[in-house]
Amino acid sequence: MDLLCIDVHHLTKSFGNFHAVQDISFSVKEGEIVGLLGPNGAGKTTTIFMLLNLITPSSGDIKIFGLNYKDHKEHILQQLNYSSTYVEMAPRLKVIENLRVMARLYQVRDAEAKIKMYSKKFELDEFLTKRHDTLSQGQKTRVYLAKAFLNSPKLLLLDEPTASLDPDVAELVRKEILSARKEGMTILLTSHNMAEVEEVCDRVLFINHGKIVAEDTPDQLAKKVRQVRVNLMMKDGQKRTVQFAEKAGFPISTKERFVTISVDEQDIAYLLAGLAELGVSYSEISIDKPTLEDYFIKMTQKTKVV
Amino acid sequence: MNWNRILAIIIKSWHNAKRDVFRIFDIFWWPAFELFIWGLFSVFISKTSSEGVNIISVLLGAVILWTFFDRASRDMSLAMIDELWNKNFINLFSTPLTIPEYLVGVAIVATLKLIISIVFMFFLANILYGFQLSSIGFYLIPAAIGLTIFGWSLSLVVQGLIIRFGHTVEVFIWAISVLVQPFSCVFYPLSTLPEWARTIAMALPSTYLFENMRTFMAGQPIKTNEILISFGLNALYLILAMIFFTRSYEKAKQNGNLIRNY
Repeated sequence: MDLLCIDVHHLTKSFGNFHAVQDISFSVKEGEIVGLLGPNGAGKTTTIFMLLNLITPSSGDIKIFGLNYKDHKEHILQQLNYSSTYVEMAPRLKVIENLRVMARLYQVRDAEAKIKMYSKKFELDEFLTKRHDTLSQGQKTRVYLAKAFLNSPKLLLLDEPTASLDPDVAELVRKEILSARKEGMTILLTSHNMAEVEEVCDRVLFINHGKIVAEDTPDQLAKKVRQVRVNLMMKDGQKRTVQFAEKAGFPISTKERFVTISVDEQDIAYLLAGLAELGVSYSEISIDKPTLEDYFIKMTQKTKVV
Repeated sequence: MNWNRILAIIIKSWHNAKRDVFRIFDIFWWPAFELFIWGLFSVFISKTSSEGVNIISVLLGAVILWTFFDRASRDMSLAMIDELWNKNFINLFSTPLTIPEYLVGVAIVATLKLIISIVFMFFLANILYGFQLSSIGFYLIPAAIGLTIFGWSLSLVVQGLIIRFGHTVEVFIWAISVLVQPFSCVFYPLSTLPEWARTIAMALPSTYLFENMRTFMAGQPIKTNEILISFGLNALYLILAMIFFTRSYEKAKQNGNLIRNY
């Protein structure tokens, strides 16, 4: 039987009349990387803070490593860590001092060796002796990540782990996340970078208006969006193509010689046959499959309309 | 209680304090300022008074003892507000650190800063006005402990209010000392207060300590029963303040105040 690192049942959090999280239930297995996705204000952060015991749920049950916070708070937090771009560290302390304080709070053995190792991994060496308040946002994010790995947590909660990072450093972070999974670490992360979620997450929980509206693998969620984009580089018949698409009710956009038509997967053949019948010619064609981002957009637009 | 985690808070608070010029200013400037004002005032009074009471020592003793309460009530609250302002609160309390460990760590650093302030004040009072430590003598020990504990109790109440109600009540960090001082009879005897104010004054542990300071400095024996009343009240207020703070913390966890942006 798979061990559950997170086991949440009927979790609800209301602030007065506002229901931030409404009766959600989910679990995360040991060694899994799960993405918690949703638009701003969906209830992701409230859920994470409830998992960290910094917000008390209105009702429902949270078990971390099969234990509850009421009786095992210290034990749970000792094996958990958290990183967020939106949370600061002591500004007047140097990076190395902040990391040493955090290592001491987690009672990390061989703290200096660990700090050295993660400083190297997240490329902190050049600013280890700088004060925290002099760092750029990207540098701060790397420090938070080093802090998050310091106690070799069994469970890691990451809120936007690669926000404000340069692409090369973001890639390095993703590699570290994947390598942590190999070592058995369980990770729950939020991100607005859908490509990143597709790359690292085994499973995605899509949350909106405080409710889990979808739960599946990134691939399966993307497949739920049936629309594909057909991109054409036109040689001849651009005007006829636009007229045909509009008549058929396919959304279309043009930019110079490039045309993009959104169609349902099953209508691709109809579209191409129709264009051939009109004598349209194009020099290049590509078809973009639906991505998790398309699913995200579809779901958020759907709920806006509702 | 884990001493390793308490040490982490001490180290963090110490690094923080030593790099904050305004906090360093706090340790030296305000105590010196108070000392100058009251020192000069007492010199003036003693020159115009015919009775020749050692008014300088009494007033300077009061200023020095009041510093124990003033700094104790302010420093712990400032340490907490720093965490909230700096958005570091979540980082600290998502670790196994407990609230009592945090408070003990902060209290130790506040005490170290307080000791530096007091030593500096004694030194300055001696140089400027010839004030002798012996004029307070052993009475310094119970008075300092009592006033520091009373300061911590009120600081816990202020901290509880801050995490519960946020920015709007931050002013109490500085105001609490001003609010309590008139009723504590720091510079005048209890008998000078109007009847209604006397009732309030007698409910404060600080009043008994300042009354007995004057008695002690006048060469009379201190009233042990009053000192015991003071410590009894202190114990009661400290317990009530801890209960209030704990409840405020739980309330803040319920209404989301712990994690909101300050």
